[in-house]
Amino acid sequence: MDLLGQLGNGFLIALSLDNLFYCFAGVLIGTLVGVLPGIGPIAAMSLLLPATFAIPPTGAVIMLAGIYYGSMYGGSTTAILVRIPGEAASVVTCLDGHEMAKQGRAGAALFVAAIGSFFAGTVALVGLMLLAPVMIAAALAFGPAEYCALMLLGLCLIAYLSQASVLKSLIMAGLGLVLGLIGIDSINALPRLTFDRLELLDGIGLVPVVMGLFGIAEILKNLEQGTDRTVVTAKISRLWLTSADWIASRWAIVRGTLLGFVLGILPGGGAVISSFVSYALERRISKTPERFGKGAIEGVAGPEAANNAAAGSAFIPLMTLGIPPNAVLALLLGALIIHNVPVGPTMITQRPDLFWGVVASMYVGNVMLLVLNLPLIGLWVRCLSVPYGILFPMILLLCCIGVYASSGQIFDLYVMISFGVFGWLVARWGYEPAPLVLGFVLGPMFENNLRKALILSRGSWMTFIERPLSAVFVVASVLILATALVPWINAKRKEMATEE
Amino acid sequence: MPKTIWTPTRRRFIASSSTLALAGLAAPGLAQSRFPNRPVTLIVPWTAGGSTDAGFRALAEATQKHLGERIIVENKPGAGGTLGPAQMAASARPDGYTLAQMPITMFRLPHMTRVAFNPLTDFSYVIHVAGYCFGTTVRADSPHKTMKDLIDFARANPDKVTYATPGAGTSLHITMMDIAARQNIKWTHVPFRGAAETNAAVLGGHVTAQADSSGWAPLVNAGQLRLLATWGKNRTKTWSSVPTLQESGIDIVANSPFGLAGPKGMDPGIVKVLHDAFKKGIEEPEHMRVMDQLDQEVDYMDTATYETFVKKMYEDMREQVERLNLRRS
Repeated sequence: MDLLGQLGNGFLIALSLDNLFYCFAGVLIGTLVGVLPGIGPIAAMSLLLPATFAIPPTGAVIMLAGIYYGSMYGGSTTAILVRIPGEAASVVTCLDGHEMAKQGRAGAALFVAAIGSFFAGTVALVGLMLLAPVMIAAALAFGPAEYCALMLLGLCLIAYLSQASVLKSLIMAGLGLVLGLIGIDSINALPRLTFDRLELLDGIGLVPVVMGLFGIAEILKNLEQGTDRTVVTAKISRLWLTSADWIASRWAIVRGTLLGFVLGILPGGGAVISSFVSYALERRISKTPERFGKGAIEGVAGPEAANNAAAGSAFIPLMTLGIPPNAVLALLLGALIIHNVPVGPTMITQRPDLFWGVVASMYVGNVMLLVLNLPLIGLWVRCLSVPYGILFPMILLLCCIGVYASSGQIFDLYVMISFGVFGWLVARWGYEPAPLVLGFVLGPMFENNLRKALILSRGSWMTFIERPLSAVFVVASVLILATALVPWINAKRKEMATEE
Repeated sequence: MPKTIWTPTRRRFIASSSTLALAGLAAPGLAQSRFPNRPVTLIVPWTAGGSTDAGFRALAEATQKHLGERIIVENKPGAGGTLGPAQMAASARPDGYTLAQMPITMFRLPHMTRVAFNPLTDFSYVIHVAGYCFGTTVRADSPHKTMKDLIDFARANPDKVTYATPGAGTSLHITMMDIAARQNIKWTHVPFRGAAETNAAVLGGHVTAQADSSGWAPLVNAGQLRLLATWGKNRTKTWSSVPTLQESGIDIVANSPFGLAGPKGMDPGIVKVLHDAFKKGIEEPEHMRVMDQLDQEVDYMDTATYETFVKKMYEDMREQVERLNLRRS
């Protein structure tokens, strides 16, 4: 009852005219930066931060939070339409989302992404209210050994990301791991693979790599093939989901939501990891895994729900401990401090108006996002009928602006173009970019936590087995590898046997 | 007499023209260069949302009304806070439109490894701003009540005490090494990435102690972490009952003082305009309030004093690096 009363108060605050406006402004800006490739929520929020000094803290946080979860919504749009992930968490959405678009089912893909996001966002909020204390205890139990084992599990998922050859996936993932090593080593602070270039001290950026591998490579591929667009445009009349689509995606959404909610609370890329894990899970339990990568709607629904649920649960450590689990929420923490809000464990008791106001505004914001996004689907889909001669230069321009805006370095444009050409070239031999991205994202976190865990255990590898949580992840990793690799090895053996 | 754009009443005209005349005397560079006439970029070499970033965003906000142009905070983290200033020194024009925070690593790193910048010759120093509040914490249920308890325990159990810092080679890490060297004890360093991770590590019981800048403040205030000592010269305003390192019997003061600088060769007139605006910005109540909340101690120095201070700091760092044998190559 107390909870409901406080939530009621929160709604009174969130539904005041001012705060409704800030909420709307936030989710609108969030949708826009999510759709624009490369320009992420961090850029938008730091630009708008000074503007929030003039408004009350609750309004400011409502707006900034709106930008954050709004961008998670918007990120799927370009991923589906033109195979450019708006942000890193949408990389997986490209895989089947864009395939669906090619088959003329862009409307259905966008629709399921919007519904999945809405469901996940709302459920994550309920979880945020009810489970915050429990979740925090669980998150604190995660030490370096547990993180390391979780990253290992994540890396094993590579086995499920490949369309064709596990070996080729492993090669790409290995390459991603090596690329992730570039920069200052996080334990000894020594430079690695930097070739005395200042630009490489920080490693290469995720944004230019992803935009190159997916966006630029896709453009090059289409130019080469000269795809006949009439096929695509002829079939896009249907925007709604078929009942078969709905049956295929509804449980994927639920599973993605749960995964995202749990993983989102962990510091460091919870949203990205949860989207990969969700995709792998859907493919693993599917009765028809061969459809994945060729336009399976579950491959869009699950990951999209996962990254939005993760965006919601990421607020838990921020609100209850003052610990931001990702860079965007670190920015929000800075905003809270500038607005003189007592961050940390006492925030909810000291400023219940702010906490509950923001939570209630997120319900309101999720509804706004749904209302905003559903009518836009028709508009987005029509973008596909724009001739290539106009569409491609525009995409290219947006990519360049986005990459430059996110780092302010011309060097990153060269990185994007190089990875674009690289992605296009290797795709001709059946190498796919997704495993590379996974290795690139998880590799540095895996290494850092592995070494920290070994420092803490004084060099004993048993720490990964002795600690129960980490043992669970290690066993799960082994099982995943075994179930994925054994059939593949058997198949190879048979091949060789028949050749002999 | 500079032209005024609006039509003033007589009294206001006299008042404003006299201030303008005074300003003209004080800042010869102002009239001829018309600096600034576009936004000024302030490079903060740490991630957005950290305590340095929050402080500088408040300073930028407080200063821009005195400068008359927007100040844009740009986060260029990396290489222990040296990447941003080093890139600025290498590529930005010394026109006053690009400034950077100069963290202490700018003066320490050159003694430790080969770097592409020289802190004494590659920068035009503008103003010294503040220092951080560092401290050592343990979990509230820890048996260690004071810094001495922790050190005694470490002496009795070599390598048993683990401490989390926000990164290898940071002042936190090096000061903890310095403490160990002076007290002749051994403890184990576990480098995390930023305050969010070190807080979680000590709260979750994965490490014995945490050495970090005041990211622990909310948890200390809520009674979940115990602050054993702060590392400044004086006790902090917020935690006045907590002793300093010196009071705990360790003769070290560490607060990683920082200021602002541009690329070398900036016009002294422009430096003066920037210095004057930032001085007023530093003194703005809103900035002071944010700095209080971030537990950063404002420590203003004018351009000349800061330049002298930089030379001394550079030598102090050389001495520290040699004594602790931190040189890598």
